[in-house]
Amino acid sequence: MNFDLSEEQQLLSDSVARFVSDQYPLDQRQLTVLSEQGFSSEHWQTMAELGWLGASIPEQYQGFGGNQADTMVLMEQLGKGLVLEPFFASAVLAASALKYGGSDTQQNEWLPQIADGSKQLTLAYAEEQARFDLHDVITRAEQNPDGFTLNGHKSMVLHAASADAMIVSARVTGAQTEKSGIELFLVDTNADGLTINAFPTVDGLRAAEVKLNDVSIPAAAKLACSEGGFNVLNRVAIDGILALAAEAVGAMEVLYKDTVAYTQEREQFNHPLSNFQVLQHRMVDMFMEYEQCKSLLYRATLEVVQRGDEAQRTVHALKYLIGKNGIFIGENAVQLHGGMGMTEELRIAHYFKRLLVIDAQFGNHDYHLAQFAG
Amino acid sequence: MDIDLSSDDQLFQSEVRQFLADNAYVAGSDYNEWRMNWFRLAREQGGWDVPKWPEKFGGPGWTPTQHYIWEQETAQAQTPWDLPFGLSMLAPVLMNYGSEEQQQRFLPDIRDRKVNWCQGYSEPNAGSDLANLKTTAELSTDGSHYVVNGTKIWTTLAHIADWIFCLTRTDDSGKKQEGVTFLLIPMKQEGIEVKPIITLGGAHSVNMVHLTDVKVPVENRVGEEGKAWTYAKGLLAHERTGLAGISRSLVALEKLKRQASSVNRGNGSLLDDPSYRMKLAQLEVDLMATEFTELRSLASAAAGAEPGPESSILKLKGTEIQQRVQKLTVEAGGIYSAAWGAMPVGHKFAHGGMSGYLASRAYTIYGGASEVQRDVIAKNVLGLKK
Repeated sequence: MNFDLSEEQQLLSDSVARFVSDQYPLDQRQLTVLSEQGFSSEHWQTMAELGWLGASIPEQYQGFGGNQADTMVLMEQLGKGLVLEPFFASAVLAASALKYGGSDTQQNEWLPQIADGSKQLTLAYAEEQARFDLHDVITRAEQNPDGFTLNGHKSMVLHAASADAMIVSARVTGAQTEKSGIELFLVDTNADGLTINAFPTVDGLRAAEVKLNDVSIPAAAKLACSEGGFNVLNRVAIDGILALAAEAVGAMEVLYKDTVAYTQEREQFNHPLSNFQVLQHRMVDMFMEYEQCKSLLYRATLEVVQRGDEAQRTVHALKYLIGKNGIFIGENAVQLHGGMGMTEELRIAHYFKRLLVIDAQFGNHDYHLAQFAG
Repeated sequence: MDIDLSSDDQLFQSEVRQFLADNAYVAGSDYNEWRMNWFRLAREQGGWDVPKWPEKFGGPGWTPTQHYIWEQETAQAQTPWDLPFGLSMLAPVLMNYGSEEQQQRFLPDIRDRKVNWCQGYSEPNAGSDLANLKTTAELSTDGSHYVVNGTKIWTTLAHIADWIFCLTRTDDSGKKQEGVTFLLIPMKQEGIEVKPIITLGGAHSVNMVHLTDVKVPVENRVGEEGKAWTYAKGLLAHERTGLAGISRSLVALEKLKRQASSVNRGNGSLLDDPSYRMKLAQLEVDLMATEFTELRSLASAAAGAEPGPESSILKLKGTEIQQRVQKLTVEAGGIYSAAWGAMPVGHKFAHGGMSGYLASRAYTIYGGASEVQRDVIAKNVLGLKK
């Protein structure tokens, strides 16, 4: 057993940490949040040049051939920086969908463009009635002589407005909640009949409601998915959950450390707040819950790397713990900062909001605990 | 002991219901006109516009049960907006410690909702440790006025207030709790600067208030110089009881159940989801208990007792319950609770759910943080010493 980062992973981690400390001061980030695109094209380019966008893409497609553990290293550092760029949507979700489901031609066309940042992709998987169930799909893909016609409504599609294309889950056959009959399709965001209604999310990122109204796509736009569309989607969700959990662990570290620092500075009743035992114990709890999340993150990531989707149950455990503890740490960071914790001026507010959004993505803590319990 | 309402109380309840039904707001009509009219009519009922004021000052002189009925009924009806600062926070201080002249000068305008007040208590270095306040009030050599300098923070609605009631320091030679003086200061004057603070939910309701060489005539001092800590402490107990919001939470819980029932889960709704259902049930149990903790507190108040340590229990439990309602609203919203901005997305209630949740995080901080309330109970009820 070995839980140390490899030399390459350590270099990667250091390089992302340097980027965050040099390029991501809070005031600059908040200005970027207000811009129309919501992220910096310059940073996006940097991420491509440093090889991060291709970290998990096979070398034959100009990537670095890394696995989920490499993505974990990257995401944990990005989480400490509250990074706005659509790394997760494009380099994790869309890249995984193409890796697991794309035909040789599709992989050849798209993966190098994801790796070099020239194309930005996203995944449209959620629907209103589905809540958190990936297999609850109403959106339909009807086969016709030229290809497929898509009709439906996809929800909370990350960074759809700035994406070049999205991978959409749609039903070819079967009833609403059947796992079989779901397929994945590559749809150009400029396609006729596709409308993107974009809005910011509470963490400052971007999402959109996407309507598909008789959107025609060629037969070649269907991902091959030899193991079935749902199975591919589920593997993508596993990668997504691991990446989000790593990001969350990074955010939790900032929250507990900032709280420890603040209570040492702030004096009330002639003592630093950190002298009060009740507050000390609360911070100990925050710290322990952070460590527990990190442990389960390592466990789930290594299990997935070595055993694939046999690790599904551990992934449910991870998403439950990350959601629950992330909110616990966020709420207590605010509480221990007192009134200052309620302002947008301090960075803890923004990390807390990101953790709230992470809990709501790919199933919240209740959902995954129920899945885990079986 | 009797859990049922007496026939007198039942009669009172139906009178209140009748009044609220007769005077409900009619959509499309002039809101402000309705609001002022509502307070006038409530006054004609016998002081219903100032339910908590003593009879001597025009209040209705209700029994605790009548107060409870009023809280319950008004939480479920649409009543005009109202602010607690003048009505529930300053007025009791004026009634207990103000001069007759001050009572005549300020109480009528508070009652008529003509003047907006804000509360100048917290300072950047006086939060939980409120007695650490440093805003100075120096008496002029001729003894005609004070000159006030300092900064107040978290001042709710200071940007729309006409007046501020302020705790100031007139003497720093003794204990921190001594030398504190209560002053009434008009907001619209030179030397007062209000800076907005934007909070987590994106709203502007609290402010920073800077006071620079502000002259305050001595007749605006309430009570004795240097004795205001005692006045303020009583006021904080009133504030705490008001912050518990039990009746509002009862209504909010019913609303939450309706919202959850509109979220589809399989063949049923989110209400059929076992873990969500259990969380709602736990919340309801806590609310049922807290409702009776409040009633017991009202009953002892009827016996003439000032709100005491039980106001800390109510503040703790009440605000935690309010936060749990907000949190379950966000959970019910699922993926849509993350949506932000002007456009509603997905479930209707999800829009606003997140900002409500974020704003609710302040409930366990303001009016004495939960940690401070637990200290109060430890010290004053359990008799524990540090």
